Amino acid sequence: MIKNNRFHFFTLLLSAFLFCGLARASDNDFQLGIKALESNDFSTALRYLEAAVTGDFDNVRYASEYRKAAIKSKDFDRSLKFFEKLSNEHPNSANLHLNFGFAYVDKIPAAGSITQVILANNALTQFSKAVELNANWINLYTRGVSYLFWPKVFDRAPMGVADLERAMKVQKNGPRQDYHVKTYIALGDAYWKTDQLAKAQATWQEGIKLFPKSAELKTRLSQKGDDLKNTIEANFDPNKRVDTDLRDLWASSQK
Amino acid sequence: MPRRSRNVLLFLSLLTFLGMQTGLSQKASPSSSSQANDRWFEDVTHKAGIHMRHHTRRFDNPYAEIMQGYTKLGAAVAVADYDRDGFEDVFVTDSCATCKNHLYHNNGDFTFTDVAEKAGVADGNGAENASSGALWFDFNNDGLPDLFVVRFGHSILYQNLGNGKFRDVTKAAGLDRYFNAIKAIAFDYDNDGYPDLFIGSYFQPINVFHPNTPRFFPESFEDANNGGGVTVFHNNKDGTFTDVTEQVGIHTTGWTLDLGHADANNDGWDDLYVANDFGTDRFYVNNGNGTFTDKTESAIGFDTKKGMNADWGDFDNDGFLDIYVTNITDDYMREGNFLWHNNGNLTFTDVARETGTYETGWGWAGKFFDYDNDGWLDLYVMNGWVSAGKENYVPDIFAMITKPNVDLADARNWPPIGNKSLSGYEKKRLFHNEGGHIFKDDAARHGLDSTKDGRGIAVADFDNDGRLDLFVTNADDEPFLYRNILPTGAHWMGFILEGTKSNRFAIGAQVRVTANHQTYLRYVNGGNGFASQSTTRVYFGLGKATKIEGIEIRWPSGLKQTIPPLAVDHLYKILEGQPVTNIQPWEAKR
Repeated sequence: MIKNNRFHFFTLLLSAFLFCGLARASDNDFQLGIKALESNDFSTALRYLEAAVTGDFDNVRYASEYRKAAIKSKDFDRSLKFFEKLSNEHPNSANLHLNFGFAYVDKIPAAGSITQVILANNALTQFSKAVELNANWINLYTRGVSYLFWPKVFDRAPMGVADLERAMKVQKNGPRQDYHVKTYIALGDAYWKTDQLAKAQATWQEGIKLFPKSAELKTRLSQKGDDLKNTIEANFDPNKRVDTDLRDLWASSQK
Repeated sequence: MPRRSRNVLLFLSLLTFLGMQTGLSQKASPSSSSQANDRWFEDVTHKAGIHMRHHTRRFDNPYAEIMQGYTKLGAAVAVADYDRDGFEDVFVTDSCATCKNHLYHNNGDFTFTDVAEKAGVADGNGAENASSGALWFDFNNDGLPDLFVVRFGHSILYQNLGNGKFRDVTKAAGLDRYFNAIKAIAFDYDNDGYPDLFIGSYFQPINVFHPNTPRFFPESFEDANNGGGVTVFHNNKDGTFTDVTEQVGIHTTGWTLDLGHADANNDGWDDLYVANDFGTDRFYVNNGNGTFTDKTESAIGFDTKKGMNADWGDFDNDGFLDIYVTNITDDYMREGNFLWHNNGNLTFTDVARETGTYETGWGWAGKFFDYDNDGWLDLYVMNGWVSAGKENYVPDIFAMITKPNVDLADARNWPPIGNKSLSGYEKKRLFHNEGGHIFKDDAARHGLDSTKDGRGIAVADFDNDGRLDLFVTNADDEPFLYRNILPTGAHWMGFILEGTKSNRFAIGAQVRVTANHQTYLRYVNGGNGFASQSTTRVYFGLGKATKIEGIEIRWPSGLKQTIPPLAVDHLYKILEGQPVTNIQPWEAKR
């Protein structure tokens, strides 16, 4: 028993040591990757950023920056293969599944209309895995919004409402973050898409009280009928690139 | 927008400001009114006796239920004055095994008589053949339009005997081959004076009535290359044709739905646009030596959309012919149409979004024509795939698409559509051209917003009054004949061209008319547009212009003929190379 405990202690110590070493190595790779990206050396950037993510697979920031590099270099398939391999190796990393899902989303504007459906469906699968592993704000918000992109015939907007209501609960139970405004916008849109206009208006109203500078909320509250419809639907055009940059998450936490 | 167009707009704006009514400002007035007297089209289908409905072919094979969802095709129309009496006649296809095709003879009073049986062109369908399209073209240059009936199976070439009767000369012409053909156009690609035949096929040449393999469906939704593609037949000038597809450099095995020819760079040689379903459209530049070069990448880029239509017209009056291509734009598939603006250097820019012509549902034929004779080409667009029960087929098809590693080429993997709808009950669009930079939908105002499953559009002036009428085919439904009843005021001019050195029907000839300091380009097309062929006459809307400043005809032979100004509001018959003095208005025989 003692022997066993000692074994565990050394194992933990070694793991901690290795983890710190890996994290440092990852951070170094990350910095080199960002530097290469700034000089548009995509090949080098992707290589370093892949090394960074591999070394610290749960790091949302590394993975997000890696995807940004993949978007810039239009190397969507490389990004997808990378995340597929890594998420198979680490199936319990919610952050990895989240970024894997976003990698599919990143490719959507560059794809044909049918491939868009396949990509969206694959993204949803990954987002669901992320939610199953960790029903935190970002995972619920992301899956909730992704449901809103689906054509009406699939009746997925109510599922979007459910996820976004859960995300709203999560955010109300914690300290307010700047990015929480997104939930007010998206949940309002989800209500609008499910023909609950009063609830949509109330959600946007509630949001504007907390985030009075939000142009998106102001626009929605000032519009009616076709104008409002056009504003909301413009957000869900699969041919437009969705902003999947997760920098708000760490930018907000650094404040 | 071209400078001249801007100038015209400024001028018209000024006139409007000064309180002077112009033809353009009248027509540009709000279109929300649906009062009958605001309508410039009248549905005269029944009154004209031209209302026989179309019937989609039902297949009798193991894949019949699946094919049902993908073969709601075959409602086509082609216009020509086959008996040279001065009034344009109409050939309309049906598709069921026992159904007859129709040759509607124009009686000259906006009524028609079906003479197909008498003429010998009614039998276009049978157990092993289904009519899917039609084309009038004068293959033997005798001045009489002959008829090519496009079929899934063996298409038929009928020679016009000139006595109201036709004779099947398919075998003698060397055209007796199995194709799943859906489109044919004719133009003289090598300018040898005889029109050549271009056939577009949907399925590969497998017998779709009795397929010997289940793998005959599109292998991909976005870049399928297992379709029927394009076949080119060179006219040997002796009543026969030779397959020259390989020699001329047309290499495509896409799921071709439409072909459109025109001279993109005004070099005197007609180029070719191929609209392919399930993937990449193709653009071929005519090298002027009997061959083409595939310039898809530099001209339009590689698309992944569902090309259905390819019609050419100079919508912005800049002297270069543009192209309108329909795709699928619905809640579940946001492809958008292409309005390819011709940059004049064999490249095109898609301006569909900017011009408001992007979204028309599940598109089919889209035709340029100037319905209000204001000098700007408008657009009428068909749409709608299957309008059936309340249930939607989209989830079924998406369930198939999202199955991992599904073999799309295998018909057995495709879900039967049953009584479900797919992009059904869509309203047709009539886009009014507002000065060459934007279009506004006026379909409801003019009663042209039917929700039937529209397919082809033939534009023609059935009563020779200078106002362009429409014949529309609908799958599994009655067609529409819309008579243009535009109030008088806007002026016009029309030409019937006859080649002497060029092919007799002057296919490919360009006409430029200058009036009000604006030059308008129109041309003779040999059947462009999905499931339909419009008139080979050339019409110009002239708005308020009462005087013509110049007329130039560029014949396919290379001859440039300058015609002295003629009086407006008339049709003129021009013979290639004829003396240009004392040209008199043309009148119909009856």
